[in-house]
Amino acid sequence: MTHSRTLSALGLYRRMAGASIVAQLRYPGTFAIQAIGNFITTLLGFFGIWSLFRRFGSIAGWDIGTVAVLYGLVNVAFAVAETLGRGFEVFGGEYVRTGSFDRLLLRPRSTLILLLGHELRLRPIGRFLQGAFVLIAGLWLAPHVQWSAVLVLPLAIAGGAAMFLGVLIGQAALCFITVEGLEVVNVLTYGGVEAGQYPLTMFGRWLRRFITFVLPLAAVCYYPALFSLNHPDPLGVPTWIGALSPIAGFAFLGVMVLIWHRAVAGYVSSGS
Amino acid sequence: MTLRPYFTAFGLQWKIGLRYRIAVVAGLVAQMWFGAVTLMAYASVYHAAPDVQAPLSLRQAMTYTWIQQSLFTLLPLGCLPAIGDAAKTGAIVYDLLRPVDMWNWWLSASLARLLGNAVPRAVLLACVAGPLAILVGLGAWSLAPPADLTAAVLSLLSITLGALLSATIVMWWNILTARTLSPLGSYAVGTPLAVLLSGMLLPLPLYPDWIRPFLLAQPFAGITDIPIRIYLGTPIPGGVATGLGLQLFWLTTLTLLGRLWMRQTVNRLEVQGA
Repeated sequence: MTHSRTLSALGLYRRMAGASIVAQLRYPGTFAIQAIGNFITTLLGFFGIWSLFRRFGSIAGWDIGTVAVLYGLVNVAFAVAETLGRGFEVFGGEYVRTGSFDRLLLRPRSTLILLLGHELRLRPIGRFLQGAFVLIAGLWLAPHVQWSAVLVLPLAIAGGAAMFLGVLIGQAALCFITVEGLEVVNVLTYGGVEAGQYPLTMFGRWLRRFITFVLPLAAVCYYPALFSLNHPDPLGVPTWIGALSPIAGFAFLGVMVLIWHRAVAGYVSSGS
Repeated sequence: MTLRPYFTAFGLQWKIGLRYRIAVVAGLVAQMWFGAVTLMAYASVYHAAPDVQAPLSLRQAMTYTWIQQSLFTLLPLGCLPAIGDAAKTGAIVYDLLRPVDMWNWWLSASLARLLGNAVPRAVLLACVAGPLAILVGLGAWSLAPPADLTAAVLSLLSITLGALLSATIVMWWNILTARTLSPLGSYAVGTPLAVLLSGMLLPLPLYPDWIRPFLLAQPFAGITDIPIRIYLGTPIPGGVATGLGLQLFWLTTLTLLGRLWMRQTVNRLEVQGA
């Protein structure tokens, strides 16, 4: 044997993800029901917005195309994070409380890679497809779509996925203190999706500030959407900001990873 | 026939619901967040279109949202967790052996579980969204009082029927769970149906006009939508009697058909495990 048999981090992740996909497809019926349920739930969510639009003629002065783009962006980004981050979501109950996090620490690999490999969840594919569908329909309906949207929207989706993954990692880091996962954090994940699908101008000032500066939701969703649709911001922020702002999502993820490493360094096992 | 076993089943699940105090507070924060986001969205939609005559005024839409948020755990989102576990492990056979009427046994447990979760949350959120919001100067965003005394009494009667109706729908999810031996299907089907059709997602009166009669006539409207309409005093076609009548109709129909389905399921139930 000449070459080393040690897997690279990426190779290891690919194997864990492959095993997880095979395991989920073992029960094709359950998978199909869950994916379809996921698709229908999210589709009905848009039906609610569409009904408001039909009754009032606009969503607070916004056309349905713009709102559809916002809705599609936030849902696609969250679906990607949900697919990757399942290990962090169940971290409190399955790793900290049971003490099995100790075993992960013994392995010569980053704990983040090992937890990402916990499960590559396929169920959010329903949300992903539905979000992509609404996003494309929105681009179709919106009047002034920019060609640069081809570059900015994928960046926005990646930035949004990074931000939601950051929330999940932060939620897992919190479990070192609380042991059990806290449902309050759902306010940032599901509640973030809920807030991200409406234009920023609809909210009061405290909420606008929160989802701009604390959780960079507006940076990965609202501003890139305005840039892609060449829609001026009623609050006066220059449109070009939207081409760069998705980077804030990666910065948020970076901060959460730093917090994670600090938290792991101070970890005390819950026992045997 | 004695009622004692059913009261015991009720008492047990009621206490389980009350055990998790931190979960109640966590739920309150989540409900206030979703409530605030929804309220701000409605407020700006209404203000942008002042000429539109909507079936609910903005104040009514806000009150509708608060009550809906506070009663979220009253919705039939899936089967009773204990029955889901019993179906997976095979412990469901013990329920079959009990010398009680199984429908009433499961129904009293399901009802207690719903009420044990919903009552503390509803009382807490009603205090925060009602008097407390007015005290801190957010009166325009607060929970409005009932239309009048009759509305208050009738809506209390109606929400009681709504809770019973919800527990009956949970019974359908329980039977589905016993049939498929997994609770996952009941959640995959139950949650989207309950969230949309009860008016949690958007108040049922605000949907497009052509679909509103169908939305009022389906069983999920009887859980929270009809009680809230009576509370607000918004007109229901045919008056309050139609609302209460629909609730009673669905309660009877779903109970009779459900009992039939349960008998059929129990007769051919195959349980795995030792």
